[in-house]
Amino acid sequence: MNIRIFLNLMLGGFLAVGGAPAAHAADKDTLVIALDTLGAQVMDPIMDTRAPHAHYHAPVWDSLVGFDLEKGGIGPGVAERWEVAADGKSWTFYLRKSLRFHNGDPVTARDVKFSLERKMSPESIASGAAALRRAVDRIEVVDDLTVRVHTKGVIPYFAASLSRAVFMEGSVMPKKYIETVGAKGFREKPIGSGPWKFVRSVPGDRIEYEAVDYPHWRGTPQFKRLTLLLVPEQSTRLAMVRTGEATIGSIGPEAIKEARVGGMKIVSVPGTMQAVYQFWGLYRPEAKGSPLADVRVREALSLAIDRQQIVDHVMGKQAQWPMPFATFRYSSDMSIPRWDDWARTALRYDPARARQLLAEAGHGGGFKLTFWNTALPGTPFMVQIGEAVAGFWEKIGVKVEVKTTEWGAFDPMTRGEQKALVGTASMYRTAGRPEPAPRYIGSFNSKGVQHLLGDPQNCPAICQDADRAYEAVVSERDDAKRAAAANRMIELVAKSWIAVPIIEGMGYWAVNPKGVGFFKPIPGRHEFGDVTERMPRPEQRPWP
Amino acid sequence: MQRYILRRLLQGALLLFIVALVVFALARVSGNPIDLLVREDATAEDRAHLQKALGLDRPMHEQLYIFLTGAVRGDLGQSIRYRRSAAEVFFERLPNTLKLLPLAMAGALAIAIPLGVLAAVYRGTLVDRLAGGLAVLGIATPQFWLGIVLIYVFSIQLGVLPSARMGGPSHYVLPAVTLGVFLLAGMMRLVRSSLLEVMGSEFVKLARLKGLSQTIVIWKHCLRNALIPVVTLFGVYFALLVTGAIVTETVFAWPGVGRLTYEAVIFRDYPLLQAVILLKAVIVLSVNLVVDILYAYLDPRVRYA
Amino acid sequence: MSTEASSRGDLARLPWISFSIIVVLVVAAVFAPLLAPHSPTEQSLPDKLRPPAWQEGGSMKHLLGTDVLGRDVLSRLVYGARVSLTVAAVALIAGGGVGLALGILAGYTGGRVDNFIMRVVDATLTFPTILIALLLAVSLGQGLGTIAIAITVIIWARFARIVRGEVLSVKTRDFVALARVHGCSHLRIMAVHIVPNVLNTFMVLLTLHIGFVVIVEATLSFLGAGIPPPTPSWGQMVSDGRSHIASAWWLSVVPGGAIMLVVLVFNLFGDWLRDWLDPRLRQV
Repeated sequence: MNIRIFLNLMLGGFLAVGGAPAAHAADKDTLVIALDTLGAQVMDPIMDTRAPHAHYHAPVWDSLVGFDLEKGGIGPGVAERWEVAADGKSWTFYLRKSLRFHNGDPVTARDVKFSLERKMSPESIASGAAALRRAVDRIEVVDDLTVRVHTKGVIPYFAASLSRAVFMEGSVMPKKYIETVGAKGFREKPIGSGPWKFVRSVPGDRIEYEAVDYPHWRGTPQFKRLTLLLVPEQSTRLAMVRTGEATIGSIGPEAIKEARVGGMKIVSVPGTMQAVYQFWGLYRPEAKGSPLADVRVREALSLAIDRQQIVDHVMGKQAQWPMPFATFRYSSDMSIPRWDDWARTALRYDPARARQLLAEAGHGGGFKLTFWNTALPGTPFMVQIGEAVAGFWEKIGVKVEVKTTEWGAFDPMTRGEQKALVGTASMYRTAGRPEPAPRYIGSFNSKGVQHLLGDPQNCPAICQDADRAYEAVVSERDDAKRAAAANRMIELVAKSWIAVPIIEGMGYWAVNPKGVGFFKPIPGRHEFGDVTERMPRPEQRPWP
Repeated sequence: MQRYILRRLLQGALLLFIVALVVFALARVSGNPIDLLVREDATAEDRAHLQKALGLDRPMHEQLYIFLTGAVRGDLGQSIRYRRSAAEVFFERLPNTLKLLPLAMAGALAIAIPLGVLAAVYRGTLVDRLAGGLAVLGIATPQFWLGIVLIYVFSIQLGVLPSARMGGPSHYVLPAVTLGVFLLAGMMRLVRSSLLEVMGSEFVKLARLKGLSQTIVIWKHCLRNALIPVVTLFGVYFALLVTGAIVTETVFAWPGVGRLTYEAVIFRDYPLLQAVILLKAVIVLSVNLVVDILYAYLDPRVRYA
Repeated sequence: MSTEASSRGDLARLPWISFSIIVVLVVAAVFAPLLAPHSPTEQSLPDKLRPPAWQEGGSMKHLLGTDVLGRDVLSRLVYGARVSLTVAAVALIAGGGVGLALGILAGYTGGRVDNFIMRVVDATLTFPTILIALLLAVSLGQGLGTIAIAITVIIWARFARIVRGEVLSVKTRDFVALARVHGCSHLRIMAVHIVPNVLNTFMVLLTLHIGFVVIVEATLSFLGAGIPPPTPSWGQMVSDGRSHIASAWWLSVVPGGAIMLVVLVFNLFGDWLRDWLDPRLRQV
């Protein structure tokens, strides 16, 4: 073993490093986004789930139904417009003219039919594949630019489920190309009709794209190249944005202050999620004696929380006052002003009233409460919100036993009989989507996954009401009447105080203002897969 | 010699079998990947469908049988998350880790050996203490934090090094240092103590009596012998580095197998987790085997022990 | 060049500084409720991220500043000493104990038993150790118990290997043979004659591994499987503070410094203990 060689190597290394200029920043023509996840990093829309899809598939593939860029929610996509038949059982989509795939082939109704069928195929693991299988009866190609989907029964939210604003099932893939090169060939050299062409994918590291050289309906990219980097550690992402190695990096609210200190800009996407807490299995006989079975106690627990403090201090002022459970200011099918008003008063901070309610319920001396503090991977701030909530409950005399649990361990407990959860509270989150009803079935319907109000064997009055309210919403085709039904459904849950919103969260990004100009995100859509094509260069639109 | 190698190979196979059983069991108790794959509002039917598609509906012993027989044939199954051969995913990332480990090892040796020598030569003095303290600081700092602080100092404040990712030579400095520092303390102690031992031995006294200078005695005669234990422990150091890579690769966004291992745990990707740990064990064991055989070759006493 | 005689440490060379720091730490851990100025979990959101007292914006109310939820860092540090040292103690007693027992068994019995135990030791040492801990933490749930089990699984092999080597040399000594001649049972010989002779080694190993355990705990926190909040532990504090290096350095530097200090002083103390008890044991 020769020491001299080692020393020389080390010395040489340091000299080489010391002499190098600090030119690690990306070049001006490349937009570099550092992400906490690239999902499975497979370039095929049927092979990944919602969020990763909206990060790295969206640049390449257009969706049949698109976004309302201003308000959030759905808007025109590959289909310029669509209509539902009088009986509510078929949807006709009218496609955009002269749209082309990256190999020059035109986008036609046959591609749309092929894509939807591919999404439903057994090999698809796309998150909504099963829902699509349940909904779709058959797909009919009317002419080159018209496609009609016949559904099994009336499905009021069918069009929405084909927009990336909600799900990912609407990606339009090239039929002829895939049939020629096969699935494997498609994954290796994928093409779509989006504003960015795929260049290469380095597993576990990055995906590179290149702008199309013609005007695109979603927006013509101002940068020549787009690179998505996988950088799992948040501090590292921040460092990279700060040094210019990345232009944009995803961050959590806990890092907002750190990013500002470093001279970065913060972009917050409103209405991406709602942080809620909920009580489990209170309808079950074994929870009858629990203080939580008393609605006054549950209301008191909500009044004990100072939501403004959580918004200001935990979320760095980058969060909003919540609307009722799973509703957002861009939601359709409901009366926004009414519920905005309700939320501002009912969700207020009133510890005196909270104590009074507890005393009236006979629990003035406080009681013990088990609280599962949990968060999906990549959302550590949820744990902090949970800690803050527990802190407020302690202040009105409730003894909170906080059980911080990794999501992968917590989520299985919510299935089936939920034995471990009966009579306890937990943190939860609902992702943003325009219509509340699909969320309500999952949480409150007696046949839903979480069935917080009752299960089919054990369905008290409130549970039966909730089931009826839900049916009224989804079977109603008249918009005004459906909104009225939805209002009833929301009211029922809001007044039960069983699933209670804490704050309306946002998606956060740290941006290096020298690398990209000022841009606006799409409300409710955290990921930037449908935004990059409209991002200006820094000189085109400087930051305010 | 052949009998020795054969014995070691058999032992290696036994070890792998133990590792395979343990990893299979540990993966299964860690939770169900289905929960992390389905959508929030998935029905029981959706879940059952996916479960079947992934082969997770079979009884445990059947899954074990499939895993073991597959492993013997070299088929480690399909990654649930990547939907590709787990071994393929592993070997795709392995080169990136293998580019980092030798640098970390070399860096650690390059600092540990001079420090160890200094500490031994100036034993009991302030130099000894400082060297010892410096080395201990290496193991006293949580690796992830050291990495983040290094990025803050060298990339943000001084702007001389890139903060993360693979790239040109400068990209290797911070991850290699972060990873190597981990080994420093142990190596330095070992060099120091074995050097002291050798310096007290007869042949060194003889060399000195012959009138050779202190420097020549230490660097030429002592160090060579003192490094033998370091070489013997090479296998252990290697295993430590492979473990350390989990954290280092996460901090520095290094697309290697360490990061892959961590993801396999978090997403309960059983086949991938099994494959990654098993293949890592094969690599670590092979390195150990080669070191031991070399050692046995150099020192015949070992063969017959 | 020092002489042979000085290789043996003595009480007079006790590292007083390290020793007193250890005493202070233990006292802090034991009397945390009396010493900490605030509750370690009490939040005050408007007071979040206050810098330490000597920095602009800091106050004497929070000597070492506050964290993201407005909790007092000093109080969390004091209580954290309790948590981190408890983890270390539990894990070391369990892991060290298992290692000691199996090491003695292997070394004393020899033959197949020895061979088998040492193979398992090898298997354990080739396993990515942090990963075992991580898998256990995600399967058993996070908590002190899990971490103690995980660390036990990690360190027993290190202990077993060194203890076995020690036993091999003790075994050949005359008094063991003599005891055998006098008809002592194997169990009795192990307990009465072997254990006391390897106890020194064991003690030294213990002190040298305390820092290791604290670091493992911190690493687990980074990987999302440490001591769950709101219980303060040093590892969790460093891990939580790592996103605030530029805006609130004290969040990770204070507990990080504490970890360094602990590792350093226990190592210095362990070195001295080793020299004092058993100068042969240099290689650990």
